[in-house]
Amino acid sequence: MFATFAIGQTVPVELFGFSSETAAVPLFIDLSIGLQLLAFAILLGGIYGLVALGLTMIFGVMDVINFAHGALMVVGMYAVWWMTNGLGLNPFLTIPIAVALLFVFGVLIHLTTIAPIIDASQENQLIVTFGVLLIIVSTIEIAFSADPQSLDIDLGSVGIAGIYLPEGQLYALVFAILAVIVSWAFLQYTQLGRAIRGTADNRDAAQYVGINVPRIDYLTFGLGAALAGLAGAVIPLFQQINPHLGDAYLINAFVIVVLGGLGSFPGALLGGMIIGFVHVFGQFYLPGSGYQIAIFCIFILVLLLKPSGLLGGDSNE
Amino acid sequence: MSEISTQNDSARLNRARLRYRQFRGQWYSTPLLLTAIFGTLLVLPLTLNLYAFGFSLGTWVSVHMLIITLVWATTGQAWNMMSGYTGQFSFGHAAFFGLGAYGTILLLSTSGVNPWLGMFIGATIAGLYGLVIGVLCFRYDLRGHYFALATLAFAELLRYTFNTFPQLGGASGFFKPLPRQYADEFGLAAFQFDSVLPYYYVILVFLIIVTGVSLVIKQSRLGLYMFAIRENEDAASAVGIPTYRYKLVGITVSAFFTAWAGAFWAMYFDTIRPETVYDILINVEILLPAIVGGIGTVIGPIVGAFIVIPLSEIVRQFINLPGLDRIVYGLLLIGIVLYSPQGIVSWPGRFFEILEQRGLYENTIDNDDSRPDE
Repeated sequence: MFATFAIGQTVPVELFGFSSETAAVPLFIDLSIGLQLLAFAILLGGIYGLVALGLTMIFGVMDVINFAHGALMVVGMYAVWWMTNGLGLNPFLTIPIAVALLFVFGVLIHLTTIAPIIDASQENQLIVTFGVLLIIVSTIEIAFSADPQSLDIDLGSVGIAGIYLPEGQLYALVFAILAVIVSWAFLQYTQLGRAIRGTADNRDAAQYVGINVPRIDYLTFGLGAALAGLAGAVIPLFQQINPHLGDAYLINAFVIVVLGGLGSFPGALLGGMIIGFVHVFGQFYLPGSGYQIAIFCIFILVLLLKPSGLLGGDSNE
Repeated sequence: MSEISTQNDSARLNRARLRYRQFRGQWYSTPLLLTAIFGTLLVLPLTLNLYAFGFSLGTWVSVHMLIITLVWATTGQAWNMMSGYTGQFSFGHAAFFGLGAYGTILLLSTSGVNPWLGMFIGATIAGLYGLVIGVLCFRYDLRGHYFALATLAFAELLRYTFNTFPQLGGASGFFKPLPRQYADEFGLAAFQFDSVLPYYYVILVFLIIVTGVSLVIKQSRLGLYMFAIRENEDAASAVGIPTYRYKLVGITVSAFFTAWAGAFWAMYFDTIRPETVYDILINVEILLPAIVGGIGTVIGPIVGAFIVIPLSEIVRQFINLPGLDRIVYGLLLIGIVLYSPQGIVSWPGRFFEILEQRGLYENTIDNDDSRPDE
């Protein structure tokens, strides 16, 4: 997928997926490879940021850790893949459809499983969302098999100022950056965005000032699902997909959410970028799954040194 | 006698309810029930091939299935000792399960250490790993979500570590050596048998030991402290219970016994890979029996395992759709949490409550079935 460069060089490690290449990589690399890695880190950081933003919104507003978040990404991936390959639609048209679909799906999940136990213990909510994860992923696996799938379309690569990027990645990058900006503006400047931030800040007080908190709950869950779906929807543009691809993203999204501060929206985007860079450069320099070990070490260090995260308040609860 | 026969159904149900509650209120009720359960389990595999009324249990249940059930009952019991008793919800017990499995098989393959010794070394390492997690997390007072995520991270850390380093088996893991490579022959000393039945009794003994420890803890002062922590940690701390110390005891003991099940897993199956013992799904399989059966109860994990595992195995065997068993897990998780968060062991008590709510009989005794069993 990303192994061959337009300039004819081959990257010694496979970006994404689990490579077992153990050959040492020189510390100083060709500038063009460096820039290529940088672009990929920003792309991955944007995707991580979107996933983590949805996760942290749901956590901030409802105090629920949504284990089904990675599965919602997978639904986004398969929606785009199926509409493009099965229905023959333009992949860029299918992305907004997938996002809308995920919003509705998220609201339904919230109303059927989370809303009835919104006041129950945290463990119970965690278990329920894990149940949702198992059902979604297994259903997709039964419907489309566990084999990796990819889009039939062939996107070429583009060269900008000496850096060659596969076109799919470039579009995904544009989508990710746009989505980050739009979500940010939505939360910051719209009435609904303010209501969501207010509810995340103080649920009871939000109720007192007249915010319809149950409505905010299902809208937030829908929006969170839509963000996960969007992050998932751009992935088929540059990578093969499979039903279990969401797991790795989910785990790293947890890391990002804690790194940025549970419930902190800017923290999720910043944390996403940091983990995106650690992932891409760690995968380049470290053998095997070393990058993932590095990410967990960061996670454990943050939990121990500053559990409230980089941009979080004092919400250690 | 004539009095009873003239009483209506309501009175009879009230009596039964009272009698059940009186029985469950006795200190010996749980040990008695456990003895009955283990007695049944002792003879269960021998009855699989008996035909009665043209029906044989063996068509649905195999010894292999019973072994798997007992493995997850054991882990559920071990998980329960920490998460059920002290309320510190661990989502990373696969770490301990995997350390037990890897400790056994790695020492066996590389140094020829007897698997029984390897099991205790692996379990000790798992206990220490649990202690480290506990010290790191509890010192900084991580609770609820944070603690669950931290334990998951510690488990995933091991998965990727074992995946990365070839010295630890790498992604392909280890093959179980044949007994003659380290012992005389198949048998108890080699922890390998040429039929499945002895494996069944080994894991049954493990389950009995873990259940015994769990019961002793629960009925001791330590258990009272742990439940106090679960109900209200700040209050427990305020009345002088060293909550930090007892949470550490909980995680260490729990990790130690979870590793036993892992060691058994390593000796029962042919290969061990990071994906088979450290997978996220393992975390769920470990805690599922306790949640379905009833968190914080001694009987719950065993009852839960005998609901969850045979159900998913039968689904797996009779409907050939890979992934369907996981959908069953998912539905069970959601159903139990939404409709019966106290688990299946609370059903006998709830049975009367539901009858009452439906207006099927009149309750003339006080209403105190809400307390979870045991």
